[in-house]
Amino acid sequence: MYRLALNMLFGDRAKLAMLLCGLAFSALLMAQQSSVFFGIMSWTYTPMVNIRAQVWVSDPMVEQVNDAKPLRDTDLGRVRSVDGVAWAAPLHTSFVQARMQDGNLLGPDGKPRSTPLKVGDTFEINDIQARIVGICKVKRAFTGGPFVYTTYDRAKGYTLGARRTLSFMLVEPQKGVTPSELCGRIERDTGLKAWTSDTVIWSWGERSLARNTFWWFWTNTGIPFSFGTAVLLGLFVGIAISGQTFYSFVLENLKYFAAIKAMGAGMGVIARMLFVQAFTAGLIGFGLGAGMAQAIGRAMIEKGMPPFVMYPQILWATFALVLGISFVSAIIGIIKVSRVDAASVFRG
Amino acid sequence: MSHVAHTVAVRASGVDMFFGTPDNQVVALKQADFEARRGELIMLVGPSGCGKTTLLSVIAGTLTPQAGTVEVFGQRLDGLGQEELTTFRRKNLGFVFQSFNLIPTLSVVENVMVPLLIQGRPYDEARARALAIIEKVGLKGRDDGRPNALSGGQQQRVAIARALVHEPPLLICDEPTSALDKDTGAHIMELVRDLSRSPERCVVVVTHDHRIFRFADRIAEMEDGRISRVVDDPKLLDTTHL
Repeated sequence: MYRLALNMLFGDRAKLAMLLCGLAFSALLMAQQSSVFFGIMSWTYTPMVNIRAQVWVSDPMVEQVNDAKPLRDTDLGRVRSVDGVAWAAPLHTSFVQARMQDGNLLGPDGKPRSTPLKVGDTFEINDIQARIVGICKVKRAFTGGPFVYTTYDRAKGYTLGARRTLSFMLVEPQKGVTPSELCGRIERDTGLKAWTSDTVIWSWGERSLARNTFWWFWTNTGIPFSFGTAVLLGLFVGIAISGQTFYSFVLENLKYFAAIKAMGAGMGVIARMLFVQAFTAGLIGFGLGAGMAQAIGRAMIEKGMPPFVMYPQILWATFALVLGISFVSAIIGIIKVSRVDAASVFRG
Repeated sequence: MSHVAHTVAVRASGVDMFFGTPDNQVVALKQADFEARRGELIMLVGPSGCGKTTLLSVIAGTLTPQAGTVEVFGQRLDGLGQEELTTFRRKNLGFVFQSFNLIPTLSVVENVMVPLLIQGRPYDEARARALAIIEKVGLKGRDDGRPNALSGGQQQRVAIARALVHEPPLLICDEPTSALDKDTGAHIMELVRDLSRSPERCVVVVTHDHRIFRFADRIAEMEDGRISRVVDDPKLLDTTHL
């Protein structure tokens, strides 16, 4: 019967197209908006990606990587003395003004508006001359603007007037000591906060600064609400369009389902037929929607537009939600068919 | 077992069927008695609203009467649960409907396969049997087309093929010729008679169409929810009120 159920579904191409449009649009909206959301959120912990230290040490009050609370320079010595530390380096992060000597400001992509920068060019940071000795490609930050990497001493020179300049300490554990283990020792011995550089936001480790940063933005900004609304919209649009279309598909076939019931098909068989139809449409709709989301994402990445990170978890979640939409659609249909009296086939 | 028990295919005794609320009750069947024999084609006739379709539904196990007994090929239907009735219909009944009820998005052969697939037969076996009966009803070569591409008469042939493909002992036909012209209707009834003529099968036809009365072995006339008389010769019926 399932083969016939599928033939019934594919036989009505107009209805099928409408159903697939609803499901695909819903999957597209959910997958694309989630991927852009996670892409933008990945910008929030950019320093963790660009600077590959295994352990980060900060002031105990620090909650996320963009909110550095200056430490005392002597803290560096305290950290270096902790058992298991191979080396510890100071890190200063701050926003500075940078302009070319002709007065051009550096653009958000790190390029002056006139010509691209190259090794050997000079520009000014807080009115102090700087020379480019190398160019590296790094991940863009949430706040925009280029990064300037230099030695700690030079960095202090560019931020004249700041009393404390130590934002973080970058620490490498000795061989045989895990980052998490070292974090525990640093916190116990110094009273400072130590973090791992783990950037897998799906894991459950408590010491990841990247994950803390992600959740800080999640709870303290309107970004999740904004994108969450779009994802929910996708879900509701999917349920509305697919549910309605599938319901109208069932309504059109109601007398045939009644005939099938009269011929001796139990509600179990009919329910399974409807599930097969709904889930098949859901599967195709998900494939189309996720494929379109991928294509849009690739185009966005190529054009350097808003970030796009499609984690496998996003695809799985979208798949589950589309199947949920299909399930709801099938249930609506099953309720309708279950209320049809098999005897109605004799009423013309 | 007596000879009578062997020959009776369908027996309904003292059947009551009401619709609506107790305050606004419509009596569809009132102490209705009906009997059909094995090997015969019996027609149920009568004016609109006399209870023909309700009696047919009761015999088919799609309606459960409030009172009375119904026995089809030795199986008591009254007292069976919905699941048992469904199983009973699956094994024992073939249906030909007034409006054919062929699924338009399926091919002719797929429509005919439906009763076999409901029984859980393998797809290939169901297809082979469906093709064989499609040939019997004279539609060889049309099996992969859609029902909508066929004429009314051809669609009813498909419906007959679907009703008989699983070789049910009881064939229920509800106004099988009402949507057809005289000649096509006659051809359809010839087909029903020829294909269903078997000592182990019974055909019950509900109809208003007096042009096909001649195909009946017996005709049961209904009036006000009960069988008023049963005749062997259609000429004995007054058809002016039918």
